[in-house]
Amino acid sequence: MASFNSISELLAQLLFMPMLAFLLGLVMVLMYRKIAARLQRRIGPPFFQPVYDIVKLYSKDTQISHGLIHDIGIVVAVGGYVAAVILLPVPGMDGIADKGGIITLSYFLMIPSLGMALGVGQCANPNGSIGISRALTAMLAYDIPFIIVVFGVALHYQSTSLVGMIDYQQAHQWGIFEMPLLAAAGLFALQGMMGKHPFEIYVAPAEIATGPMVEMSGKFMGGLFVMQSFQFYVASVLYTSLFLGGGANWFEFLLKIFFVVEIPMSISFLFPRYRTEDMVRIMWKWPVMLALIGIAFVI
Amino acid sequence: MSKLGNIPVQAKSEKKRTNPLARVFDELIQFCQSRSMFMLHYCTGCGAIELPPAMTSRFDMERLGIQPMVTPRQADILLVTGYVSVKTLKRVILTYEQMQSPKYVIGICSCTVNGGMYWQSYATAKVLNEYLPVDVYIAGCMPRPEAVIMGLRRLMSNIENGKGNAWKDYYERYDYYLGNQQHLFGDDWQTPVDVIGEAKFYDLEGEETYGEHTRTLEQHQEPLEAAVMRVKL
Repeated sequence: MASFNSISELLAQLLFMPMLAFLLGLVMVLMYRKIAARLQRRIGPPFFQPVYDIVKLYSKDTQISHGLIHDIGIVVAVGGYVAAVILLPVPGMDGIADKGGIITLSYFLMIPSLGMALGVGQCANPNGSIGISRALTAMLAYDIPFIIVVFGVALHYQSTSLVGMIDYQQAHQWGIFEMPLLAAAGLFALQGMMGKHPFEIYVAPAEIATGPMVEMSGKFMGGLFVMQSFQFYVASVLYTSLFLGGGANWFEFLLKIFFVVEIPMSISFLFPRYRTEDMVRIMWKWPVMLALIGIAFVI
Repeated sequence: MSKLGNIPVQAKSEKKRTNPLARVFDELIQFCQSRSMFMLHYCTGCGAIELPPAMTSRFDMERLGIQPMVTPRQADILLVTGYVSVKTLKRVILTYEQMQSPKYVIGICSCTVNGGMYWQSYATAKVLNEYLPVDVYIAGCMPRPEAVIMGLRRLMSNIENGKGNAWKDYYERYDYYLGNQQHLFGDDWQTPVDVIGEAKFYDLEGEETYGEHTRTLEQHQEPLEAAVMRVKL
């Protein structure tokens, strides 16, 4: 009977965690737009604006689909993040985090970009192709420092389990104090991973008409909006779990994830963007260097 | 039952709405549509200069849920800001037909209303709503940002009350619009978007969808072929 209870509890968590992630992600999207507005001395959107946008996009009367892969690509993109969310422990809910570990998670984080590449590939729009080739190059750029950081953190804790890392940090000391260089490199990679300025060349609204999203209309764009809110949540919770000791309770947890996600958002509106090759050069130079030195200290 | 290729498609009117909350959902959707509008500004003339202040810190359109979008696929509003020359009008129509319904057109400046100071010009399309269904006109030469926002608010209240239906008119009276377009561009005028096909597919045909002008279109229509991609070496 105990096993039945644990299975039903796990199922409830698997349902509840993505829903929670989506809601928190919507608030993060709102925060992103509000920060942009305040930095530009505007009022900004009303509280429910992300919801209005998504409902409106899903309720478009005509939809242009460019084929089966175009439809599936968006599902893959959102699904990759949903899969990542159930591997990220939150206070009181571990999902399957103790079984997956951080290596599975870093694989899952690549799925959304690949899904989007599949979907955009079928649109046959040159702007989309340019955008997605830039996006995949950008992924190559930020994944190298990101993987080095993940590897360094796993080396430090002698474990790949996020649950174990969080328990250790709450008992002893936050990761950011034990490995500050890795934390700094991780923040750098986070900026690229979230695709914010100065690393948002693949979106580039003015030059390539928002790149990968150029042919996405109606529910496809709605899917991408959903994906964006998951993306903010996943990036911030991952960083919090690795370096800021997760959350002992919900208040602490929310405070930490919103603080983490606020850093790239605030930086984002202060810079113009780098070209793709410059982004690769910078990503492979500075954060990689910081992370390697960080690993040397950890060993 | 209509058919698209070999796939039978259930038309909207044949569907029975059994959900008791259907009206509530409709109203929710109309509310969200009125509160979230992505705007594609086709800045053809001097009216474009009034849009930056309306969008940025002074008047801030984003507090009404209106934000600029750069591709027609994602946009809800097509802003035509100023005079439309015959050559430009072709591009405006191409852009409009690529947008996804429900879509709205706003004509800013006197030039879109009646030609404005270009009323004598041989190369300018005078009245925009002969070629596209215009939801709201904002008159003035040029209208101030306050007037632009007034116009957008008018459109918002229209959508919320279910009156922002000009886009259906384009399907229902396609023959009329196509006739005016053919008058300007010649009989072999053709766009990549199959408007009649869309009207059939989404069950938006009216009595005036077909007429002599659509017959002219059929005579001159060449099948669209995908552009060949070549790499020059």
